[in-house]
Formats: sequence, C-alpha cells, structure tokens
Amino acid sequence: MHPKIPGGILAVLSFCSLPAAHASAPDEIRAMTLDNGLRIIVWPDHDIPNVALYNFVRVGSRNEAPGITGLAHFFEHMMFNGTTRRPPGEFDREMEARGGSNNASTSDDLTTYMDWFPSSALDLVFDLEGDRLGHLAFDPKVVESERGVVYSERRLRVEDDNAGFLAEQVQSTAFAAHPYHIPTIGWPSDIEGWTLADLQRFFKAYYAPNNCTFVVAGDVEPEQVFALARKYLAPLPRQAAPPPVRTVEPVQPGEKRVTVERRAQTPLLQLAYKAPRADDSRNVTLNLLATILAQGDASRLHRLLVEERRIAVNVDVYLQEGFDPGLFWLFVTLPQGGDPDAVLATIDRALASIATEGVTEAELARARNLTSAAYFGQLGTINGKARLAGEFEVMHGDFRKLFDLPDAIARVTRDDIRAAAKDLFDARHRTVGILAPPTTAAAGGEG
Amino acid sequence: MGRRTVFAPAAVLALLLAAPFAGAVGVTVPPYTRTVLPNGTVLVVMPRREVPLIAFTALVRGGAVADPAGKAGAAALTAGLLEKGAGSRSAFEFADTVEGAGGSFSAAAGTEAISVSGQFLAKDQALMVELLADALLRPRFEAAEFEGLRARHIEELKAAKDSDPSALIRLYGRQFLFGNHPYGSPAGGSERSLAAVTRDDVLAYYRANFGGDRLTLIFAGDVDVQALAGAVQRAFSNWQPAGAAIPVLAPPPAATGRRVLLVDQPGAAQSYFWIGNRGVARKYADRAALDVVNTLYGGRYTSILNTELRIKSGLSYGASSGFTRGTVPGEFAIRSFTKTDTTGKAIDLALATLQQLHGSGVGADALASARAYVLGQFPLQLETAGNWAAALAELELYGLDRAYIDGYGAAVAAVTPATAARVIATAFPRADDLVIVVIGDAVKIRDAVAKYGPVTETTLAAPDFKAPGAP
Repeated sequence: MHPKIPGGILAVLSFCSLPAAHASAPDEIRAMTLDNGLRIIVWPDHDIPNVALYNFVRVGSRNEAPGITGLAHFFEHMMFNGTTRRPPGEFDREMEARGGSNNASTSDDLTTYMDWFPSSALDLVFDLEGDRLGHLAFDPKVVESERGVVYSERRLRVEDDNAGFLAEQVQSTAFAAHPYHIPTIGWPSDIEGWTLADLQRFFKAYYAPNNCTFVVAGDVEPEQVFALARKYLAPLPRQAAPPPVRTVEPVQPGEKRVTVERRAQTPLLQLAYKAPRADDSRNVTLNLLATILAQGDASRLHRLLVEERRIAVNVDVYLQEGFDPGLFWLFVTLPQGGDPDAVLATIDRALASIATEGVTEAELARARNLTSAAYFGQLGTINGKARLAGEFEVMHGDFRKLFDLPDAIARVTRDDIRAAAKDLFDARHRTVGILAPPTTAAAGGEG
Repeated sequence: MGRRTVFAPAAVLALLLAAPFAGAVGVTVPPYTRTVLPNGTVLVVMPRREVPLIAFTALVRGGAVADPAGKAGAAALTAGLLEKGAGSRSAFEFADTVEGAGGSFSAAAGTEAISVSGQFLAKDQALMVELLADALLRPRFEAAEFEGLRARHIEELKAAKDSDPSALIRLYGRQFLFGNHPYGSPAGGSERSLAAVTRDDVLAYYRANFGGDRLTLIFAGDVDVQALAGAVQRAFSNWQPAGAAIPVLAPPPAATGRRVLLVDQPGAAQSYFWIGNRGVARKYADRAALDVVNTLYGGRYTSILNTELRIKSGLSYGASSGFTRGTVPGEFAIRSFTKTDTTGKAIDLALATLQQLHGSGVGADALASARAYVLGQFPLQLETAGNWAAALAELELYGLDRAYIDGYGAAVAAVTPATAARVIATAFPRADDLVIVVIGDAVKIRDAVAKYGPVTETTLAAPDFKAPGAP
C-alpha cells in the first residue's frame, strides 16, 4: 500500500516548533478544464475499490432574493427528480442498483453533489451526472411533492429545533444588506410560493459547465476519468457567467440583539461576529483561535463555562467561510434557569483577555496539533480527499493550496492570534441571539 | 448543512458494517493478532501503515445492562468519569495531554459494554497506553467531577428535548417495547434516573464491572508491535478480575397486538414516529439476507418506506428502518416524521408498507439491486484504521470470528427470494403486532393515533422516557 499522505504534511504532524517543509501537491493528482469551462480534478487512491465524486456548483442562498429564498436548496432536491431521458427516480434507482449511493448539500455559497460508488460504476455515474446537467426536466407533479419534502426538512431543522430556530434569526439579523441574511432552507412563504418558471431561470443561470467543479478521488486513473468527462460533460454548452453578487455588507455600526421567546428547558446564547471571506489569509489564524476557544475539553471557553463555572452545558464554535465576508459563531447551551446575560458577560471578559494578553504557547501548540490531526484524518479517506481538494479549488482558487495549509498553520504566532482576536471580537460588529422560555408563569406554547 | 440525507438510524449504519464484497474485489480482514493475557484481558493488534496514526478501542464488557435498577446512567457516568481525572492527572490535565498531542480519547457506555476509543499519532504510542491504563485502572472519581458531570448529563437531556425530537425517539421506543428488560433502559440514563445515581453507585459499578477479565484492547494502525505488546502486558496483566459476573441477558418478549405511547410536545410543527417490535440477535443465521431485505425495505434512498413517505407522497423528509442486534434480540424499528395534520396518513402508509412486505415479499430484480448496493457500499465502511478498530470490537463483543466479515460477500451474493421470504417471516414484525411511539402536539393528534391501539400519554418535558406508571 502506498502512503496516503503526501510527505510534506507529515512535517507539521511531528509537532515541533520547527517550520514545516513546504508541501507541494502530489504528482498523482491531475486536473484539466474542458473547453466549455468545466473544471475536473482527479486524485487516484487504490486502497479500496471505490470512488468518491463531488460536483461543486457555485450557487447557494447568497444568489437568492425575496420571493425565491430557499430556491438553491430546492433545486438541489430537483436535481434528483428526472431528466428528459430518465423519469423521476431513475437516477437513484440506477445508481443504487450498481452499488452507489449519493447525497447533496446546499450552503450560503455552494450546492454540492456527492456520489460514492464501486469503481465498476464509473461510466454510469458520469452518464447520470452529465444527463442531469444537460437534460433536467421539471415535472409539475414532482415539484409539488418535493415542496412538501423540503417543508418537512424545514420543520425538522428549524421549527422543531431551538438551536436551528435561533440561528436562523441571528443570521437574518446580522446582515442588513448582503444576501447572507437569507436562510438556506428558505422562508416558509417562499417554499410554498416559488414557481416552475423560477426553477427554469435558476437552472439556466447557474447550472452551466463553467460554473461547476468536479473532483474524483479513489480507484481511478486520470486518463480514464478525463475520457469520460469528454464523453459525458464536454457536450454541455458553456453559458454566460452567472450574475455577480454585487451587494457589499456595510460596516455594522453597533451591536444587534435578537431575543426569541419560546418553549425551552435550556436557554440558548449565540454570538455571531463579522468575519473575513474564505479567501483571506487571516482565516488560518481564526480557525486556530476557534480551536483554542471551544474545541475539546481543554479549550478555554469549555473549561471556563462548562467545567469551572458550570454556567453552560455546551459551547461550540464555527467559522463560516464563504465567497463574501461571513460570521464567526459561538453557540452556548445553558442549564435550565441559566442567565444568558451573565454568561455573555463572562464570555466577554474571556475574549477581552485573549485580545489583550493573548494565549499561551501551549494553547497554540494544542490548536495546531488538533487542526493538523483533523486535516490529516480527512486526507485518510477518498471522501475527505475529494471534499478538501474541491473546497480549496472552489473557495481558494486552486486545489494545490490545500498542501500549503500545514505550512500556514505552523507559521501562525501568538501575536497573530492576539491581533486576530482584538480585530474580531468587537462588540459593535456582532449579533447576540438569546432564546429563553417565556418569563411569565402563565406562558404556554410558542407561536 | 446536509440537505438530502436519508434519515438513517445508527442501526442501519451498523448493518452496513457487515457486507464485504464477494469474490475478487472483496474486503478481507487484514492480518491481525489476538492474544489473551493470563488475567483474561484480550489484546488485538492490526498493523496498518497508510498513515502514522493508531486508532484504539477498549471494551469493558457489561455496559448499561449492568446498571442497578432505577439508576440508569450509572455506567454512563462511570464511563464519563474515566477521563475526568486519572492517575497523576486532573481532569483538565488529562484533556490537555490528549489534545496537546493532537489525539482524541472518549469513553461512553453502550448497552453491553463501556467503550473507550480514540486516536493518537504513532509516535505517541507509549502515551496512548499510559492514558488508557490510567483511565481504566486508576480513575479518580473525584466528588466534584462526579457532581459536575451528572448535572451536565441531566442538562444535556433537557437540551436534547429542545432539539429535533427524532434524536430521542428511540429511547422512548425501546423503553415502551422492552419495559423492565435491560434493553428497555436508556444507556445514558434519564433526567430522573441520573438524579438518583450517587458517587457511591459509580464506585460500586466500577468495582463490580471493571477488571482484567472484562477488558478487550484493540489497536489498529501504525503500531510498533513489540513495544505495544510489552507496554500492554506491563500495564494490564496484573489487573484483577471484576467483582461481579457479567449480567446474563434473557431474550426480551415480543409485543403482541398494538399499543401507542403519545409523547406530548405542545406547539410541535411535526409528528415524529417510531414503530417497532422485537427483532433478531447479533448471531441471527440469515444476517446477509436480513441486510439485503432491510436495505430494500428501509435502508436506502429508494427503499419501499422512503418511496412511499417521501418520494411519492412528499409527506416526509425521510423514512427508514433498521435492526438493533445485541447478544439477544433487540428491536426492529421504522422511523419517520410528518407535519402534524398528516400524522395519521403517514403512519397508515408506513403500516401498509409492512403489510405489503409480508404479503408480496420482494422481487428478484429488487433483490439483485439491493445485493449490489450492500456490496458496493461496504468497502467505504472499512477504509480507515478507526473503522477497523470498531469492526474488530464488534466481533469481540459478540463472540464472532473474522468469517463474519470475510465470508459475508459470498453470503450476500447468495441471497435468494426464498431466503428473503424466510427473513421477512421470521425477523420483520407483522403489522398487527407493533408498539408505536409518536412525539407531537397531543391536542391535535390524540384522535388520529387512537385508532392504532390503546394510548398511553406522557410529555416530552417529563424527566424520563417511560409512560407514567410504568415500572
């Protein structure tokens, strides 16, 4: 068996303070761009007789507007629902009968399609992917049925889930102008309201080969994949570049606050600070800062809030990295009867201390090592390889930058962390969300 | 945010763990060694050189089925406290040591074993064994850590009840189906039972259920075989046996007729349902056919259940089914959800699919598709050292040998309509004999669910998972 991890990456995993050797992309990874603009990356790995295929389409809820919120996500569902050549359901039937499974996801920025299958099904999967990009059909009956499915998903993730409900409110409050205020699942009236014509316009605008990036990792050879791409994907006609998102979020002039009164045993507190776009060199530092704050039982906020003060049950952190400046999130679950404002004050002191005094060398080393181990773990599977290579290609412009990450992690200093914290944790540029049960004794169910 | 994932219970994923390829492209278990130390501790080592990491799983047999009556969660708290201070390290020092090395280390109580699993860099092999030995042999069980962890487990359950209810419904289902049988008891405890667990209960659990004779250690990855064997010998070979015998489980009785547990969550937008009965044990002889038939019925996107409840009707984001197979038979369960006013319609449809399965069986083409699917997905489940450590742990826990994996491809390929029919008759409950749990807005669905059988009611906010008055 060949080593799964390119050599340079191991340098950072030896976890010393020496600078890591610069890692170049392994030679076995190959990439090409078809004449129609479709980009395709192939990463051979023959450890298991399977393949992971990702198609990243550059469209998400960021490309929506009032009236069609949730359409990118709904479209993700419709991509499985029939073409002019295959009736609804045939995509899944054919793929599963050959041993393959699939999924898809939609975010603010991207719609991502994934297939996992035995390498013997490679030709079929390219046929299926080319077919739905070139010949998608919109059966009005299927559109209506799928509306119900998506609304059910919204009830599951938002309406019957307090954390999901609050996060939707926080995100829609945080952005005044930029379409990142749109929830990816869509507002209920839009889920019920969008039309067949909306779908057709959306497909035409965004599902163009020049807006797609394919990544194939696993038991394949590059030439074999390129030949299939020429056969099934090259015939797709190039289209005009999708309209750019022009709106730039103005600088937030002061703290925003959203309060949700809702049936709950455990109150929730969420903080969302304005953060840089994905392709910003500060994000390596911010991800390490996130790890220092709330990843693992030895992290600062976990230790302070959960273990020592016991004023929180759980604390999580997430940096949203998109095409445009996004949010750095903190999610806190309080014990029953907990006081969100008291927890907020404690968090504020902890964040201020990092901005003034910084973090210890041990904290930085711990974050470097956890980050490297997670990165390394992802590269240990064909799925992780396909996802990471694609994310770097799409969000950072070149999959090769993936191999610069260990070096970038090793270069971050305590001063960088302190400066980043000082810059990021400005209360004027944050949105605070609090979800708590009604305070009056007579309160019943929520609306 | 995943958007199209078929709602797949852990049971379904576990089933997929049992289906290697047939023939030339099959998954064969890579070479490993199995050693029994004089005190009964089992050591399993599988060298894997792809990445300089070592994954481990330590199993301590017993698990939640050894919880004292009324004290569900004693095993879970014992497990959680293993890493909250052990040997010379405080809770913080333990976590900081693990995370400082870029490692992971987590302990949890399963139904039949406490498992400690994680991963370290190969260069930290000695540290990994030291931390494992400290956690298992020298946990501190400090009073302050006990109080903190117990309070946190209770609050986490309350928080889970404020979240997507599909995550908890299985606990209600198992309790309602199995009652006083140990499989009915929630492995993590309930708010009420955790409040009853004392530090003395944890110490007693540890004395009775921890010892060299209960332990299996599994390492997969870039190991230094000699050094590892030596370190394990030194650290564990003098560990005394546990104070008590492993609880012997009787098979739980199956439910006859139908009954309903309605769990009220006022204001819920959707109704979440779980429909189950006793299934089969881990050593069920027709396991390959079971996997293939369940794949067709509720184990993949185009399954009969998902086709009816999602694809054709748009009633739900997803519907699935699965078996939980323990030393004795666990449950078969169907799970789905739908908006409040279609609760009856969706449950009717789910029951109709079960009647259809028993009435019409599955066709030859469908069987061929499901066989290909089970075989095609299997290598993806056994790709990493961590996957292999978990798979070997499953073999050890249930007394299976490597043929369980090696021979499986051929068994899946050999599934015929006749074996499928036998599995449907013996493993899948009939639609007349079912336990049904519904979490939803009781005021709006009480009448709709009454037609399925006698209804018992509780509320989601109640501090346990059982019907009021149940023992």
